[in-house]
Amino acid sequence: MAELLLEILAEEIPAGTLPGARVDLLEKVARALAGERIGGTFFVHSTSRRLILTSPDLPDRQEDRTVEVTGPPASAAFDAEGNPTKAAIGFAKAQGIDVGSLVVEETPKGKYVVARKTIEGRFTPEVLAEILPALVEKMTFPKMMRWGDGKPLWVRPVHSVIALFDGVVIPFTLFGVETSRTTTGHRTLAPSRIVVTGAADYFAKLRHAFVEPDASIRREALSAQAAELAEEADGVPASDPSLVDTWSHLVEWPGLVRGAFEEAYLELPEEILVTSMREHQKMLPVRADDGSIRNAFLAVCDQASDPKGYIAQGNEWVLDARFADARFFYQEDRKQKLEERLPRLGRLQFQEKLGSYLAKTGRIEKLAGQLASRLSLEAASPDAVRAAGLLKADLVTDMVREFTDLQGVVGGLYAKEEGEPEAVWQAIYDQYRPASADDSVPRSDAGGIAALADRLDTLTGLFGLGLIPTGSRDPYALRRAALGVVKILLDRGWRLDLPAACADAFALHEGLPRPAAETLRDLDAFLLERVRFLLEKRGFAADEVESVLTTDTRDVCDVAERVAAVAAVRKRADFVPLAIAFKRVQNILAQAGEPDGEIDPALVTEEAERALASDYFQARGMLDELIGRRHWGEALAVMASLGPPLDRFFTEVMVMAEDPALRRNRVALLRSMRDQFYRVARFSEIQS
Amino acid sequence: MDFQTLILKLSEYWASKGCLIEQPWDVEVGAGTMHPATFLRVLGPEPWAAGYVQPSRRPADGRYGENPFRLVKHHQFQVVIKPSPIDIQDLYVESLVAIGIDPREHDLRFEEDNWESPTLGAWGVGWQVLLDGMEITQFTYFQQAGGIDLSPVTAEITYGLERLTMFLTKKRNVYEIEWTPGVLYGEVRKQDEYEVSKYGFEVADTGLFQLLFDKFEGEARRCLDAGLVLPAYDFALKCSHAFNILDARGAVSATDRVGVIRRVRELAVRCAKAYVASRERLGHPLLPKSPAPPAGGAEGVEA
Repeated sequence: MAELLLEILAEEIPAGTLPGARVDLLEKVARALAGERIGGTFFVHSTSRRLILTSPDLPDRQEDRTVEVTGPPASAAFDAEGNPTKAAIGFAKAQGIDVGSLVVEETPKGKYVVARKTIEGRFTPEVLAEILPALVEKMTFPKMMRWGDGKPLWVRPVHSVIALFDGVVIPFTLFGVETSRTTTGHRTLAPSRIVVTGAADYFAKLRHAFVEPDASIRREALSAQAAELAEEADGVPASDPSLVDTWSHLVEWPGLVRGAFEEAYLELPEEILVTSMREHQKMLPVRADDGSIRNAFLAVCDQASDPKGYIAQGNEWVLDARFADARFFYQEDRKQKLEERLPRLGRLQFQEKLGSYLAKTGRIEKLAGQLASRLSLEAASPDAVRAAGLLKADLVTDMVREFTDLQGVVGGLYAKEEGEPEAVWQAIYDQYRPASADDSVPRSDAGGIAALADRLDTLTGLFGLGLIPTGSRDPYALRRAALGVVKILLDRGWRLDLPAACADAFALHEGLPRPAAETLRDLDAFLLERVRFLLEKRGFAADEVESVLTTDTRDVCDVAERVAAVAAVRKRADFVPLAIAFKRVQNILAQAGEPDGEIDPALVTEEAERALASDYFQARGMLDELIGRRHWGEALAVMASLGPPLDRFFTEVMVMAEDPALRRNRVALLRSMRDQFYRVARFSEIQS
Repeated sequence: MDFQTLILKLSEYWASKGCLIEQPWDVEVGAGTMHPATFLRVLGPEPWAAGYVQPSRRPADGRYGENPFRLVKHHQFQVVIKPSPIDIQDLYVESLVAIGIDPREHDLRFEEDNWESPTLGAWGVGWQVLLDGMEITQFTYFQQAGGIDLSPVTAEITYGLERLTMFLTKKRNVYEIEWTPGVLYGEVRKQDEYEVSKYGFEVADTGLFQLLFDKFEGEARRCLDAGLVLPAYDFALKCSHAFNILDARGAVSATDRVGVIRRVRELAVRCAKAYVASRERLGHPLLPKSPAPPAGGAEGVEA
C-alpha cells in the first residue's frame, strides 16, 4: 500500500467551479487508474487556489495480467510423434516464450496452439506519470482560458504541482510546470515555500501556513462564526446555505467580519437592501427575531481576524456606496409615478418588429381582459387589466437600470407605495414568476392573468416572426416563457383552452409575417414540449405523458390529471393485457384502412363478439358520464375491465372475415372502442 | 498619499518592472482598454509591456457631482504585459506594497470577474481584486480582441485611481481626496462633473449624436478602405462615445442597442484585422531581433 498526494496550485479558481472540478478530478483519476488495474480509495479537496487529490492505499504496481495469443492449429504445430514443428517453434519464439509452455486449446474452429503469457504489472508511479498530466490537462471548466504564450488551456494559470508517491516525486510536467514537493502557503499570510514529504505532512504544514484544505471544515467554521457574530448584534444570520457555500470556496483561511450601516437605509425596501448585500457584495444580512433586517451584515474574508478593523471598515464603506446609490435612484424614481412613465415606454423597443413596450402594454391589457373571461375569473379582471397596464413601467426606472435582477419587484414596490390595490401591486411584483420549474407562481388571480398575458404576447409575437428557439439558441428566453405559461395554469389549477388563448394573443399583434394557423401550430407543439418537460420532472414516465399528449386535449390541468390516472391504472394487473390488445386494435385498423360505418347490431354474430359488444355498449354509457365529470381514474378502470372480453374476441373471432359486411362491422366496433378510449389517453403509446 | 503621488508611484513601479510609460489617449474612451496601447497592442505575436493613465468617460455614471463615489470621468491606471508573466499576480501585490498597502493587514481577494466588451468584440478571463471588500482593480487575461483569438496572451491590470486614493486616505467622498497637498479633487473636478452630468442627461442633442454616429462610422469605413488603421480606430472610438451619450439620454432601446453595438463591433473587428495585417507587413518590428527566445520565455518572467 502506498500513498499518493497530488496538489495543483493555480491562480484563484472561480468559486462556482470548484465543487464540479473536484468531482471531475476524482472520477477521472479513479476511472483511469481502474483501467490500468490500479485500485484505491481517493479523496479530493480544494481551496480557492488548489485542487488536491490523495489516496492512502494504492498498490505499488499494477496487477499482473495474463494474455493469450492463438497460434497455428494443433495439427500443424505438432508432428505425429507429438514433437513441435517449425510452425510451433516459430510461433513460440515470436511470442517470446518457451516452446514447451505452449498449450493446446479447444476452439470453435478446432484445436489450436495457444501462448499464455503473464505480463508483469508496471510500477504505479510510472503509470501515474503517464496518465496524470493528460488527465488534468483535459479537465473541462465552464470557462477556460489561455495564458502566457497562449498554448496552455485550463481554468487559471497553474503555478506548481506536487505529485508524491510514498514521498517520492512522480516526475511529469503539467502545462510546462515540473512536479516537485514544494508549494506555498496563504497568498499574503504565508507566501513562502513549503516542502512536504507526504500527505499528513502536507496537510499539517498547510494548516500551519493559513490554508484549510477541507471545504467542509471551512464551511462549518463560517456558519458557526456567522451565528456568533449575528448574535452579538442581537440577530441571526439570514438563512442562505448557498452563499455560505460560496464563501467557503472563495478563501483558504476562512473568516468573517461584521459591519454596520446607517439605520436610515432601513427605509429602503428590504428587497433592494438584500439584493445589494447578497448579489452584489456576497454579504449575508442579519435579521432580528421578527425576521426584519438589522442594520448589520456579515462579509467573508480570507483570514481569521481583523485586528485593526480595516476589513470591516472597508466592507462598510463599499456597502454604504451601494446603498447611497440605491437611495439616489429610489428618491429620483419616486418623483414620477409608474403611470406617468408609460409614454417613455413608447421609446423603449420591445422587439424591432413588435413595436415598443408601450405597444406591448396595450396588447397585454386587452389580452388580460380576454383571459379573465376565458378563465371565468371576471372578478379579477379589473385588477389584472390595471396590473397589465403598469406591468412594464419599471423598465424605465433608474432602480431597474441599476438592479436589473429586481425588475418586476421594483415596479411592484413602487405600485404599492403609490397606493395601488394589493392584487395589482402583487401582480406587478410577481410578474416574472415562475423563473424556473421549481419557482412559485404569482400569488393572486390578477397576477397569474397578467403573467400569462405577458408571456402569451411574447410567444405569439416571436413565433409570428419565425424567431423560434433552436437547440441551445433561445435569445428571447421563450422556453422559460412557455414553461411559465404551463406552470401557472397547472399550479393555479386553471382550465384554459390554450390554443384559443394563443389565437387571442396572436390576433392582437399587427402585421406579423407568418400566417396564424402555421404559427399557432408551431406554438402548440412548443407548449406541449414544456408540458412534457414539467410532467416528466414531476416523476411521470415519458410514455404516460405521451399517451395523453397525443389526444387532442389542450387544457394542461386536464392533461396532468389524465397522466396521473394513466400512471395509477398502469399498475393494475388487467392493464397490461388491455395495452397489448390495443396495439392489436391499432394494427388492425391501420390494415383495414378504417372504413366508415356504424356498428350494426344485426351483424354481431359470434358469441365472443356479442359479449364484447355488450360489455362495450354498457361501458360506453358509463364512460360518457365519467369523462364528462373528469373522473379519469374511474374511466380508465372501466376501460381496463374490457381487456378480457377483447382478448377473448381476438382469440375466437376472425376480424378480417371473408364476408365484407361482417368484416366492416367488426372493424367499426374496434374503431368505436378506440375512439372512445382515446378520449382519455392513447394506450398504444404505453410501453408494456 | 494624494491622487497625483499615487499616479507617480504606480508609474515608477511599473517602469521599474520594464513597462514603457505611455500617455493617455486623446479621444474620449470609456475605459483604458480602448486605448490603442491595449486594444491594438494585444494583437499579434509582438511582446508589449506598457503602463499609462487613461481618463475614462461614462456619461451614464453621471451624478451631478452629488454622489461621493460615482463620476462621469474617472481615471484608470492601466498596465498591459504580453506575454502574461507567470508571476503577474505577485508583481501586482508588490505594486500595492509600493503604494503603501500592507497586504497582511487587509483582506486581499481575487474574485472571478470575466470581462467582455461586445462593442470591441473582445473578452477576457480574470478577477476583480477586492481589498477589504472594495474593488480596487480589474485583472484580466485577454482572450480575444476584435474577434481575433489572442496568442500570446496579454495580462491587463486596471487600477481605479480615485477609489484607490480614497482607500489609502480613508476619505469617504471622492471630492475630498487631495489631488496634490492643499488642492482637493473636488476643487479641480466637481463643477466639471455637474456640467457633464447635466449635459449627458438633459442637454445633449440626441439628433446630433445620432447623426455624428452615422458620420463617424462612415469616416471609419473610409479610413479602413484607405488602409489607415489608427484614424479608423479613432473614429470607431468616437462612434462608441456617441453611443454612450445616446444611451445616457435613454435614446437607445434594448433592441436598437443590439444593432448599434453590432455596428461599432464591425468597425473594431475590421480595425483589428487591418492592424494585424499592417504589423505583419512591417515585419513585426517589436519581436526580438537576434535569436528568437524559446516560446513563452519573455524576459523578466521567472520569479
